[in-house]
Amino acid sequence: MAVFEVFPTVFFLTLLSLRTYQSEVLAERLPLTPVSLKVSTNSAHQSLHLQWTVQNLPYHQELKMVFQIQISRIETSNVIWVGNYSTTVKWNQVLHWSWESELPLECATHFVRIKSTVVDARFPEPNFWSNWSSWVEVNVQDSLGQDILFVFPKDKLVEEGANVTICYVSRNIQNNVSCYWEGKQIYGEQLDPHVSVFHLSSVPFIRKTGADMYCEVSQGNVSKGIKGIVLFVSKVLEEPKDFSCETQDFKTLHCTWDPGVDTALGWSKQPSQSYTLFESFSGENKLCTHKNWCNWQITQDSQETYNFTLIAENYLRKRSVNILFNLTHRVYPMNPFSVDFENVNATNAKMTWKVHSMKKDFTYLCQIELYGEGKMMQYNVSIKVNGEYYLSELEPATEYMAQVRCADASHFWKWSEWSGQNFTTLEAAPSEAPDVWRNVNSEPGSHIVTLFWKPLSKLHANGKILFYNVVVENLDKPSRSELHSIPASAKSTKLTLNRHSYQVWVTANNSVGASPASIIVISADPENQEVEEERIAGTEGGFSLSWKPQPGDVVGYVVDWCDHPKYTLCDLQWKNVGPNATSTVISTDTFRPGVRYNFRIYGLSTKRIACLLAKKTGYSQELAPSDNPHVLVDKLTSHSFTLSWKYYSTESQPGFIQGYHVYLKSKARQCHPRFEKAVLSDGSECCKYKIDNPEEKALIVDNLKPKSFYEFFVTPFTSAGEGPNATFTKVTTPDEHSTMLIYILLPMFFCVLLIMIVCYLKSQWIKETCYPDIPDPYKSSILSLIKFKEKPHLTIMNVSDCIPDAIEVVSKPEGTKLQFRKSLTETELTRPNYVYLLPTEKNYSGPGPFICFENLTYNQAASDSGSCGHVPVPVNNPPSQLGLMISPENVQKALEKNYMNSLGEISAGETSLNYVSQLASPMSGDKDSLPTNPVEPPHCSEYKRQMAVPLCLVSPPPTENSSLSSITLLNPGEHYR
Amino acid sequence: MKVLAAGVVPLLLVLHWRHGAGSPLPITPVNATCAIRHPCHNNLMNQIRSQLAQLNGSANALFILYYTAQGEPFPNNLDKLCGPNVTDFPPFHANGTEKARLVELYRIVVYLGTALGNITRDQKILNPSALSLHSKLNATTDILRGLLSNVLCRLCSKYHVAHVDVTYGPDTSGKDVFQKKKLGCQLLGKYKQVIGMLAQAF
Repeated sequence: MAVFEVFPTVFFLTLLSLRTYQSEVLAERLPLTPVSLKVSTNSAHQSLHLQWTVQNLPYHQELKMVFQIQISRIETSNVIWVGNYSTTVKWNQVLHWSWESELPLECATHFVRIKSTVVDARFPEPNFWSNWSSWVEVNVQDSLGQDILFVFPKDKLVEEGANVTICYVSRNIQNNVSCYWEGKQIYGEQLDPHVSVFHLSSVPFIRKTGADMYCEVSQGNVSKGIKGIVLFVSKVLEEPKDFSCETQDFKTLHCTWDPGVDTALGWSKQPSQSYTLFESFSGENKLCTHKNWCNWQITQDSQETYNFTLIAENYLRKRSVNILFNLTHRVYPMNPFSVDFENVNATNAKMTWKVHSMKKDFTYLCQIELYGEGKMMQYNVSIKVNGEYYLSELEPATEYMAQVRCADASHFWKWSEWSGQNFTTLEAAPSEAPDVWRNVNSEPGSHIVTLFWKPLSKLHANGKILFYNVVVENLDKPSRSELHSIPASAKSTKLTLNRHSYQVWVTANNSVGASPASIIVISADPENQEVEEERIAGTEGGFSLSWKPQPGDVVGYVVDWCDHPKYTLCDLQWKNVGPNATSTVISTDTFRPGVRYNFRIYGLSTKRIACLLAKKTGYSQELAPSDNPHVLVDKLTSHSFTLSWKYYSTESQPGFIQGYHVYLKSKARQCHPRFEKAVLSDGSECCKYKIDNPEEKALIVDNLKPKSFYEFFVTPFTSAGEGPNATFTKVTTPDEHSTMLIYILLPMFFCVLLIMIVCYLKSQWIKETCYPDIPDPYKSSILSLIKFKEKPHLTIMNVSDCIPDAIEVVSKPEGTKLQFRKSLTETELTRPNYVYLLPTEKNYSGPGPFICFENLTYNQAASDSGSCGHVPVPVNNPPSQLGLMISPENVQKALEKNYMNSLGEISAGETSLNYVSQLASPMSGDKDSLPTNPVEPPHCSEYKRQMAVPLCLVSPPPTENSSLSSITLLNPGEHYR
Repeated sequence: MKVLAAGVVPLLLVLHWRHGAGSPLPITPVNATCAIRHPCHNNLMNQIRSQLAQLNGSANALFILYYTAQGEPFPNNLDKLCGPNVTDFPPFHANGTEKARLVELYRIVVYLGTALGNITRDQKILNPSALSLHSKLNATTDILRGLLSNVLCRLCSKYHVAHVDVTYGPDTSGKDVFQKKKLGCQLLGKYKQVIGMLAQAF
């Protein structure tokens, strides 16, 4: 029975296993060939989309299969890609697979075929491939249209650095096609007669609106059309940087990051990259609306740990960053608030503030910063909700700024922002005595004391100084102290004190009280003025001063100086030095180059009496002299001259004058002794003499040549150099002889002048002595001449022998006489009036026994006229006689012949003599006829010419024919008037 | 329909849309009367001249602004890419009667209005940051709209013309980006050329 019970079960199992075996065998043997292969295209993505089914797949059976796909281009034999695609295939399933072509599909015909094999583990036997499906042709070109040219791909989006293949399809192979990438022609390879391909490697990002490529088709030189594409090149999407999340209230997590470059493109080809937050523990995600921050709501109080992934994404790429953190470790507290100060006094204050409540038992660590007087103090304090802190050791009357920030005391993550407030401490009495110094000017019977003080520093003033009190106490004579209250704005005050010792207290006062007093004693004795001034050299850093210590006890030393020594208000400065110091350095920004600073060093005795110890003077930097001396040239001789500039002030110069340079230019090439050759800035040569003594302000320049031209220039010099350039002064030495002439002529001039004065004073005597009005013929020198000629028959006619026949009445006024003297030619001839004393004979021709004188004494007008009208010449006068007498030539000849020596003596008088002499002549009888027979005056040369030869008028050598019986010759000295 | 639906920006185009771009369209039924809502201004012709002068004065600047905003290769290949080779542009005969010239001006303004509308739309997408170009395009479109109104008023009031067959500017909505840029440049080049001629003709 048991056998029969078991049998049906065994049978059933056997039958089942048999059926399974049958089906496996069926599957193994049946060819699982891909069928119904269809290929579609996506031009925008340049992809082929394949779909197929598997034939003979058992019903409701899944098999793991591998499909091998072959893709050919242009022709089936040109296989460009072979690949496997593994998948589990169900019965009656339509399979899909895509392939992206680097070449735009429009550029070439593609062919696809597929075969398959089963790789299921249930079939351990060696697999065999099915047969290839038939080739499926994909030809997109046919659907392009009728345009003559096409360029592909259209509006493709790629990432920067990608390789791009571009092609054009030209319908007419006769056309010439030129292609340009961003304006530059590019050359491709021909895929077939209609298609050319261009490979662009690593395309760069050019602009958001895309990079252009266009191709121009032309026939010959005629353009048939242009087609182009825009390639949108996107920047590479960057990984977000500095991604972090934190909370301020345990309700919201605020996540931030640096997004990097924006990959958005124009034409909406690609928007800006998007950011998504994904939290792995909760499995939630959130698309962020901002590109650099996102808020995440904390919904579960229990979740303390968060694992965030930030995903940046654009059309081409996806990037992500991840952070894992505990929420309590990412607390960024909100700012403290209600910051205030309580119980503020001069040195203390209490600071209070509040914080936002967080979780229970949350402890804040707060940091306080106190700013004041240029310093910063920092304090830390832990608080729960309300904070407070006592600020101590504050400065009086000082404005402070205190600020506070807080952080999680348990797990420090980040400080909150600062919250701050200002406060000012109260005033206190000044803490230090003012620094006081004095300047004493002694006057007869008094001291003029000027007190100076420096304003207290803010640190010591402890408030606003309102006034200074100056108390003066006479130490020699008991008296009431004087109190002077000086406004705070003043920095000095002047006191007039008797010649007593005084003690002066100076205090600074603010609203709270007075400072300690600064004490200074004014000695009755005048300041020691016998201290010699010492020169010091300053540097850019200042002046280094040293002095001998004052004997006895000193409480310190004071160095004072003026910042502006040239001004009346010289801005006195001083520096206090300790009692053990014997040197100090005075350095201040106010020192200027070229300014002489005078320093006085005082020792302060224990009695606060200042004693002058030393005087120093110097320049922080010496400069070259600013001006040259005004040089005077003195003692100019033909061989030397002296230069002097005694008024040149050496004290007011921008440096210590060390001496002078005297430049001398001359035509001589050799320099004078003591001079040396020098070249001036303009390149010219000259001679230079150096004077090393600044007080030597004169120079004798000698060994010069007479009548020579020299130029000189004197300039002082300091350690910094010479004075400014200036023009040379010109000097010409005088002639040597001219000096001598001066020596001779001057005495002569004075001698002549003396003689003239004497002559003037003794003129009457001289006149009477030398040329009386009526000359005495017997005293005439002609007598000696006559004797010399040994003419015994010629005698001098006596005056008594002359019978006057006429008297000339002179009626001319004195003025006429003067006028005559002025000009002989201008004066009209005035005929003299004659009174005839004897009867006249008209035709008298013989020689008369008389002599008639006529000169200026008798007739002024006659001599003026130059006419001889009153001396008529008889008509019958023998010409020979006349010619002899009147011809000046004859007279001259005669003179020359007989009295050459005499002529030589009187030559000087010829030029200016004007006189008419009367001549004893037979013709004198003619005068008789003048009144009665006024004849026209003959040529009057016979008398006039005498005027020119009057001085030694000599008778011509008498000839035998001459009827002239006698000639009167006048001594020239007697006829001058 | 696809072509027309995308490129219609000016109100005129919307109002007058019937059959399709590029084909002459009747504005009003043949037997419609010429009716104007508002009375026409007295110095219409002066206003037309003034508007033409205004457009002429800004046309070159608009052209330059446009091709500069497109980037290379446009600025350096104006002859090739921006030549005024617009095939279906309405003709204009300067020696015609005023009525004929006004009718032709009407057609041109309608054409340019639609073309500029398409260009403006395209550039706002392609060059969202080229604000000055957008502003200039909008201003030009506004003036064209006013000019169209004045021309219509003149035709209606003086010549009782109530029907003008018009053509519209090419629709670029289906074209690729390069084609849009190129077509826009060509249209603006043509606009610059034509508007000068029109300003002189009136």
